[in-house]
Amino acid sequence: MFAALLLPVLVPAIITMFIWALPGDPASIICPIETCGEEQNRLLAKELHIDEGMVSFFSHWLSQASTGDFGRSNFYGLEVLSFQEGKEDLLSESIPNTSLLLIFSLIIVSIGSLFGAMNIPSKKWDPVVVMIGITPIIVLALISGAFVEITYPGSEFADPKNWMKLVMGALTLGFADAAFSGTLLGVRETFSREKNQRYVGVSILRGETVFSNTFPNVANALVGQYRARILHILSGSVIVEVVVGISGVGDLLLMGTLKQDFSVVLAAAFIFAIFSALLLFFQALIECLIALHIRRAPSNVQFVDPSLEAA
Amino acid sequence: MKKMLLLCVLLCFSLLCFAAYQAPERKTPGSVLSSYRYVQPLSAESYQKCMSSGTEKNKSVGFGSSSSTSSSSPMDEELCSCMYWMGTNRAGVPLVEYASQGARIILFPAIVAGFLACLFAIAGGLLRCINVPFVDSLTQVFAEIVGALPRMVVIVICALLLPRDARGLMPLAILWAFLSAPTAMDEAGAVTVRLGGARFVEALRAHGFGLFRIYLYHIVALNLRPVVVRQGAEVMMQVVFLEVALSYLAIVAESGSLTHSDDVRSWAELLHMGYAAVVVNEPSMHALLIGLALIALIVVMATSLSTMARAR
Repeated sequence: MFAALLLPVLVPAIITMFIWALPGDPASIICPIETCGEEQNRLLAKELHIDEGMVSFFSHWLSQASTGDFGRSNFYGLEVLSFQEGKEDLLSESIPNTSLLLIFSLIIVSIGSLFGAMNIPSKKWDPVVVMIGITPIIVLALISGAFVEITYPGSEFADPKNWMKLVMGALTLGFADAAFSGTLLGVRETFSREKNQRYVGVSILRGETVFSNTFPNVANALVGQYRARILHILSGSVIVEVVVGISGVGDLLLMGTLKQDFSVVLAAAFIFAIFSALLLFFQALIECLIALHIRRAPSNVQFVDPSLEAA
Repeated sequence: MKKMLLLCVLLCFSLLCFAAYQAPERKTPGSVLSSYRYVQPLSAESYQKCMSSGTEKNKSVGFGSSSSTSSSSPMDEELCSCMYWMGTNRAGVPLVEYASQGARIILFPAIVAGFLACLFAIAGGLLRCINVPFVDSLTQVFAEIVGALPRMVVIVICALLLPRDARGLMPLAILWAFLSAPTAMDEAGAVTVRLGGARFVEALRAHGFGLFRIYLYHIVALNLRPVVVRQGAEVMMQVVFLEVALSYLAIVAESGSLTHSDDVRSWAELLHMGYAAVVVNEPSMHALLIGLALIALIVVMATSLSTMARAR
């Protein structure tokens, strides 16, 4: 919970500190004079409170960002995010694309969890599962990109092509770098370790199911694993979006980095940090709910007074 | 089995070292010409023939970022490509040069990152044995904050913030090792907790063993070894993939690479040429095969290393 509160502030703060720690004028680091020109650079320094120092710049940026105003991109010449209708901006299209990519790839990871919980496939297939997971994300992204280009050659703005890109990107994220196989093996390992506990044997003798007994106890570990997978997928989305050609937040972040566009980089990093913080928050919430569920006395257990029993 | 795996690791590693050793220090016209000699199986006469054969129109095309100096560009691509055992690109640059320069970019940073990951894992395991709650809390806070950051995002931002002359794979590899630290420390910590933690140390001390022997031999060498070696090998492999990915992204964005200077070639360029072979039927399928084989080499090395160190 502590990290969840800290992250959205910490990430931009570290970037700001780095900008000021680098040699040279922060204004010309944020927007190089070759790109902006001297006059524009001076105006930018005033507008963003750069000339008033690091703390002033950061507090101003944070207060603006909390209202959704991330400033203007120097490279694209557009607002990073705009709530005005009809006004073009960078994030309005990118956030839904990245979210869809994430949701689609989570479907694959969830199937992996389900298979792991159901102990499918058996252990003899482990080498095959591991082999699938060992493929690096860049190789799978290239295969996906080539598949999309061959299937829909030349149709840059066609809807089916964009959907195909999203699906192939999600497949890449879902299978590359052990996302699917790691989840499957991790969940299976967690469940099989728990199944060997004594209380599970007792619960079977009482006529209860194994899953209902083990699940509350392994749920915390599973939620932690799931959060790590989502973060991993989010991290990989930077590569997949660029290689497959999906205009998402990761693509924006990389382009912003290569073109030294700090407004875009700060905004993209802030969004990633908020997402990560939300994940931490939900993990903490689910852990609390599970703890409450475990501590809750079952309603169908009858209490027998020892004195009455003796009588 | 272990001997076979060890042999496999040594073979992969020596191949990488050999390739990295062969790469020229700086790509000047002189070094390019001299380094071409070792990949030129045919006589100098054939080389001249390749360079002067064909027509002027064959000379033009390269692959986006492909380097080459127009003075040494071949006229007949097929003839020139046949002269080198890995073939050449369309500008006549031997692909073995891409392989060797790519190996040079990744070799040292990957080893350093792997070594750092091993150190983090050892530290994580040993910290659980000393039983100091304050240190445990600090480690937990560190792991929670660092573990909550999407690694690629941090890497990309760090690459942006580095001054242009300090850009290279080494700082990014060290950062990657740092970002991998929570996983390594956590896993190694779990092993020592299963072992008994501080009670295990106490028990061995009661048997009269010295601290050095307990920590370094009994805990690290005998019990943490599989985790430490696996984490190191994985981080090493990930750093190689990171370099390939970042270089590829820079090629796609038609920008300078974040991991190496512009006069050095990365393995990502082989993949980029191969991609063109698949999508637009460029005659560069051999580049794709070489690129994939190099990646497979790294995977085999890392997997063999991890399997070799696995506990019996």
